[in-house]
Amino acid sequence: MKRYLALAVALIMVVTIFAGCGSTKAPDKAAESKSETTAAKTDAKKEITIAFLFQDLETEFWVAGHKAITETLKAKGIKVIERNANEDANKQLEQAKDVIAQKVDGIIIIPQDGESAVAISKVCNEAGVPIGVFNRPPSNKDAKSLVVVANNEKIAEQAVGYMAEEAKKLNKKMKPLIMVGDLGDPNAVGRKKGFYNVIEKNPDLFEKPIEVPTKWDAPTALANLKSAMQANPNVDFIFTSSDFLYPQIKSVLEPMGKWKKIGEPGHVMLAGLDGDSTAGRLMDEGYVDATGVQDLYYEAQALLDAMLDAISKGDKTPNQWIDDPGFALTQANMKDRRLDMWGNKLRKDKGEIK
Amino acid sequence: MSARKNPMDTKLQENPEKRMFRIPDLRQGIKRIMVSEYFVLYLSILWFIVMLPVIPNIASSRNLNNIFDFIWPLLAVCVGQTLVLLIAGIDLSQISVIGMTSVIGALFMSNRIDPNVLSDSPLWGTVISENGGIMANSMWAVPVGILMMLLVGSLIGLINGYFIAKLKMPPFMVTLVTQLFVYNLAIFLTKSNNIIGIPKAFTEIGKGKIGFIPVAMIITIVLCVLSQLLLSKTVLGKWIYAVGSNVKASVVSGVPRDGVIMFVYAFSGFCAAFASVIYSGRLEMGRPTLGQTLLMDIVGATIIGGTSMFGGKGKVLWTFFGVLFFVLLTNVLNLFNLDTFTINIVKGLIILLAALFDVIRTKIQANDTKVEKAGA
Repeated sequence: MKRYLALAVALIMVVTIFAGCGSTKAPDKAAESKSETTAAKTDAKKEITIAFLFQDLETEFWVAGHKAITETLKAKGIKVIERNANEDANKQLEQAKDVIAQKVDGIIIIPQDGESAVAISKVCNEAGVPIGVFNRPPSNKDAKSLVVVANNEKIAEQAVGYMAEEAKKLNKKMKPLIMVGDLGDPNAVGRKKGFYNVIEKNPDLFEKPIEVPTKWDAPTALANLKSAMQANPNVDFIFTSSDFLYPQIKSVLEPMGKWKKIGEPGHVMLAGLDGDSTAGRLMDEGYVDATGVQDLYYEAQALLDAMLDAISKGDKTPNQWIDDPGFALTQANMKDRRLDMWGNKLRKDKGEIK
Repeated sequence: MSARKNPMDTKLQENPEKRMFRIPDLRQGIKRIMVSEYFVLYLSILWFIVMLPVIPNIASSRNLNNIFDFIWPLLAVCVGQTLVLLIAGIDLSQISVIGMTSVIGALFMSNRIDPNVLSDSPLWGTVISENGGIMANSMWAVPVGILMMLLVGSLIGLINGYFIAKLKMPPFMVTLVTQLFVYNLAIFLTKSNNIIGIPKAFTEIGKGKIGFIPVAMIITIVLCVLSQLLLSKTVLGKWIYAVGSNVKASVVSGVPRDGVIMFVYAFSGFCAAFASVIYSGRLEMGRPTLGQTLLMDIVGATIIGGTSMFGGKGKVLWTFFGVLFFVLLTNVLNLFNLDTFTINIVKGLIILLAALFDVIRTKIQANDTKVEKAGA
């Protein structure tokens, strides 16, 4: 008897749930049309809630990005729901569905990669929730989203281009090496293209480049760079696709006697991309020649402005690509542009530099 | 033989007036609920009802939809783990089987592959190219892709089973090594990149609905029913319980121990591949890292359901209850807007409690059996 009773309770629960499932779209649409008609009246008073879903905070760039976004939102009186996916794309998809169920007004994501950005954007489009993708763009345009991203190819080209011009002064053929990011991330693809654009423009200056996969993972980068440098000790020109890998580069070059300042014999030319505080410090000390800078604060502000604009207009599926032109900070323009780099701004805030 | 006297009855006989006000024995009641096979279902319902006034949003149609959306792939993989736990084993490789089979399926089905992303793959130019995978644009791509996913998953499980059964190696060690090997092989084959261009017919398995019933639900329920029938209605099912309850006795009784173990691990790999079909369909890609964070959820939900880690005790229905409770718990913690670390700590504690509870239940049942034997 009890067995049948328990099964009956379970059955009732499932039926109730499916009654809910079946009617998911209808009430939402009704609510949507109702909310649209009253949007102008209520938006000014209604508390806006934005969910911020990030893949993880493993580098200074993402920590600073997280801080910039959450502080800006909170300063505007916006309620923020935060979710960390711990680098799990499926979990981030489920988190997006969860916050949609909480009826958030918008979602901002730092996706695990370009492909998962597409999958999550599609879910948001279906639910009629505006989505903004921060710094790691979708791999294709199958879904509508607000995207803010640095022009990685151009910025990388500027940084590597500066190094190439400096290398020409050495009157020798260089052995270049690139530390490649996770190629599932369009940022990594753009940075790699920028590097190769310069290499291909200067065939007489460069030997065939060596590629070191990093997967945006410090231990992987360290292991692969160590192997590559042992096999090719004549490498004298390194471009890292992200500044957060400088500690690994130093720990490989130093025991080989190749961690030298600019102008010292045996200096390995170095450049990276991001513009973090480590890069800023190493440029000040004279180890790094150039670094491509993403304007982190501009990106955060531009995305939030576009998101709030879409919410106020009732646009459920905004579709806009916001470009961060960025720039290359080099030893040549350090005097003028040093404090335009977000990593140096952080150092200034901490009182490390003036 | 004399029947054991209940001390309570003796007291009541001494004072007949108290018979009128006999209250139910609370301890017995709690004990009965604790050993009930529907305990976790009761707990889930109670949890839902208690949380309803605190978080009214829990009963919104979209949230309920989400809960039942998250259950199916996890349930599928937990069914495989249930059978493994039934023979007192453990399968840590399921999470890597999910990633590997996700890649295998995409290698067969993908209709377009970006050379910028995958040209470094050792499979480039032979198995995959700019035009897609092995069966790109073929009408048979999806069925063959799924079949290959299930075959590869089963094969990995069979290899686990072989080492455990024939070479008498510890399941923990074998499946841990397989987990590492298979995960890194998937990373090597794809250079850690995702494979996109998956046909819509495949993604619909993860996301689509027939009427208002999700396809993932239909196929997972079929898997569950067949698995439960296998356990309860077939000789193989009885062998599985026998091996888990007492392996020596089962061998003496003529149970083909090695064959049973190999079957169970192959089935576990099959279930992981089955879950991979749903997960990959949802994400619309073959993903080598898919499932890597799921181990705690898989083992936790199965144990919470009541399947014993000591073997010989468990049902697919219990696993469903365990997954339901686990997903409901996670959902509530999310709705409380707790951070990921807090959620994981709470989930870990609940799993620990479930494991402790398993020990208590086993003791209670062992005591009851002793009492019954003494009373017989």
